Amino acid sequence: MKILFVDDEKDVEALFRQKFRKEIKSGEIELAFAFSGKEALNVLGDENPPKFVYVFSDINMPGMSGLELLDQIKIRFPNIQVSMISAYGDSENYDRAMNSGAKGFFTKPVDFERLKKEIAEMVKNQ
Amino acid sequence: MILINVISLFLLFYLKKSSGTQEFPAQLKRYFNYGMIAAGVLIGIAIIDLPPQILFQLLSFVLVGGIVYLILFTPELESQKTMAITPLPIVGVELLKYLIETISPSIYNTLENYLNAAGFFALIWAVTMWLNHRKQMKEIEIERIFLKEQERQLKATAEQKSQLETLVAERTSEILKQKEELQDALDHLQSTQEQLIQQEKLASLGQLTAGIAHEIKNPLNFVNNFSELSVDFLEEIGEEMAKISDSKEKENILELLEDVKSNLVKIRHHGSRADSIVKSMLMHSRGGTGTMDPTDLNALIKEYSNLAFHGMRANPNPINVDIQLDLDESLPIIHLNAEDFSRVILNLVKNAFDAMRDKITALGNDYKAKIQIQTKDQGDHILIKVEDNGPGVPDEIRDKLLMPFFTTKKGTEGTGLGLSITHDIIKSHEGKLTIESKVGEFTRFSILLPKVKLGEKST
Repeated sequence: MKILFVDDEKDVEALFRQKFRKEIKSGEIELAFAFSGKEALNVLGDENPPKFVYVFSDINMPGMSGLELLDQIKIRFPNIQVSMISAYGDSENYDRAMNSGAKGFFTKPVDFERLKKEIAEMVKNQ
Repeated sequence: MILINVISLFLLFYLKKSSGTQEFPAQLKRYFNYGMIAAGVLIGIAIIDLPPQILFQLLSFVLVGGIVYLILFTPELESQKTMAITPLPIVGVELLKYLIETISPSIYNTLENYLNAAGFFALIWAVTMWLNHRKQMKEIEIERIFLKEQERQLKATAEQKSQLETLVAERTSEILKQKEELQDALDHLQSTQEQLIQQEKLASLGQLTAGIAHEIKNPLNFVNNFSELSVDFLEEIGEEMAKISDSKEKENILELLEDVKSNLVKIRHHGSRADSIVKSMLMHSRGGTGTMDPTDLNALIKEYSNLAFHGMRANPNPINVDIQLDLDESLPIIHLNAEDFSRVILNLVKNAFDAMRDKITALGNDYKAKIQIQTKDQGDHILIKVEDNGPGVPDEIRDKLLMPFFTTKKGTEGTGLGLSITHDIIKSHEGKLTIESKVGEFTRFSILLPKVKLGEKST
């Protein structure tokens, strides 16, 4: 199962790869990373139909924001699930994301246990 | 002799009338009355020619002489002195006539014509003098009335003057009062303006703080996550290492790994400390959410008195303060708006610091600043006491302490809102705030919080 993480912080890649080391090793999941909304759309658009099942995106990013990316994905790839990860857990962002069709909303610092559970469930449903 | 007595009667009558507005003493009036009666009697005797004529004639002279004497030597009759002179020639001629007639009637007969002539002249003299006197008296009277009028005007002027003076004084005090009120209003405006500027600064500072906190939070998350991960990996490494056969190198590696692990644990620990500071910064800049959550009050007091202390130490003019916590361990968890209530503790402790700083400046190093914070379970209520041994609060301003914008701090140091907000927060928790103080010794803020609030009971 291919999962795309979108965050402007490059170290996110190392963190998530290490956190999901076992899952990646076992071939359960495959991770990809994009560092802007635009890059994420490019990655998703490269394959037709894209193999990505799940996208986790930061909200506050330079250029295209996570919420804009969410809208774009929902238009162009309606089958891909999107969850948001943000340091700003205020109700405004949350409502906006959920109304735009986000599957979940995670606040930073990320609760990895919850994230792992979410992904495991997704894997099971595949 | 009738003439002499008529003169006597006339003089007395005239004198009596001349008193005018000024009353003569009763004694004098009595003299006038008796004199008039005597003159009347003597006239009567003279008409019926009652003997001995010589005696009654003599008495007539005595009477007129007495009257003249009275006029000349009575202070009240000073203005009538000319009256005494008027009848003198007539009296003189009559007296001469009487004496000569009594001593030698023959000489009298020879001189009678001359004496009569003298009498006539004396009469003319008297009439002239009388008219003169009347004129004089009238002038005096006019002058008197004039003087009186002047006096009256003077008095009226003085009265008006004093009235004006009172009016001026009244107006002056009114104007002074208005000036004071205006000054007060101006002061109030100025302090309000300062406070608004201060609040504006605080607001932008709050935004800045929130921004900074967010910026710090992201890298801090990495620090925490990576250190946590590394600890996990070290656990795994440990598991793998167990599979390798023992050797000196392995022992060394294990030792080093143990050190690395403890370092990582320290990084994680201090990272989470920094995280909680950032969180509280964010909490304060965001403002209250208004929810009452189960809170460990003692922990909250520990955390925020500590935060206030370190904040004070990090700011200009730090002071040495002994903070004594006497917290009742049996305190139950109660429902509080922790965010708001932390502000109460911060405000009270910070106020105490500021007050004690003033006392340190005043007294020097002999004074040891001390804050005691106490919690106590009192059955239905929880008591929180914050007491400092600072300069105390004078009675005059104790009532004003909780008023918004009241501050004793100079310039822009205080917003005057701290205690007012504190009071509002305590009220919103259905609590009571009381202030006790003794100037120069202590100030004690006591908060009494109900364990169960009315709002909770009903739901």
